[in-house]
Amino acid sequence: MPDLTASVSIPRIAAIEYPLGRTLGQPGDAPGQKAVLEATLQALEEIIVPGGIVHLPFEWPESPKEVNNHAAVNPPIGRYLSRNPWFLPRLLSRNVP
Amino acid sequence: MDQITSAPKTVDSFRFISGITKRMIKNWINMEKPRSIPWTPLRKPLSQSTVALLSSAGIAMKSDIPFDQEGERQNPWWGDPSYRILPKTASEKDIRVYHMHIDPSYPEQDINCLFPLQRLQELEDNGRIGRASPRHYSIMGYILNPDQLLSETVPALIRDLEKDLADVVVLVPA
Repeated sequence: MPDLTASVSIPRIAAIEYPLGRTLGQPGDAPGQKAVLEATLQALEEIIVPGGIVHLPFEWPESPKEVNNHAAVNPPIGRYLSRNPWFLPRLLSRNVP
Repeated sequence: MDQITSAPKTVDSFRFISGITKRMIKNWINMEKPRSIPWTPLRKPLSQSTVALLSSAGIAMKSDIPFDQEGERQNPWWGDPSYRILPKTASEKDIRVYHMHIDPSYPEQDINCLFPLQRLQELEDNGRIGRASPRHYSIMGYILNPDQLLSETVPALIRDLEKDLADVVVLVPA
């Protein structure tokens, strides 16, 4: 999520449009993972101004709908908020109780 | 002759994120104020640099202390702010992924899909980088209140990276 990363003033960003949990690519796709890592290091060489962002050209092979089907993980905060939905604004504003 | 031109890609931060999480992240972005951006120029060519990885996936060696999942279950507003050291030879057989907000099955099949240790070794082997650091690092990225992460974990991480003589650190978000 490069927009979030950029909002906290990171020196250099190589942005990629891949789903969370598979930032470098699919399991088993060594050439694809290596291409992403090489492009990331190349971005490090190319960025010469603080806060510079390189948008990497890689395309994830699945649609968001297909990806969401895989990620059926509900963490503790999700279960907590389904029982206590009135606490949701505090999560949205990161106002930790 | 037709010339095919395509606009350079602009990454959509929210392509794979929906609903309430998207709303939450946008809110968090709007809460941040611009501040000065730290900057360290590359000191030497990558082909002479030691490169380390830092993941936010909550990866630990099976032989090491797990990230505290029970603490987060007891208090869902809390996340374990500690960090773990991973040797460059670690493989998916040696590790567990403790971040409860991502699906651990992918990195537990192939650690390189979010922590590219073997790919980094290949870049050392072909001379693109000087060397892969002997040690790499992971934090667990679900931390709503970053006070302890910033005051204790980050300084300790920096001390370790300096001991490793790391020139470059690739932060890999999970």
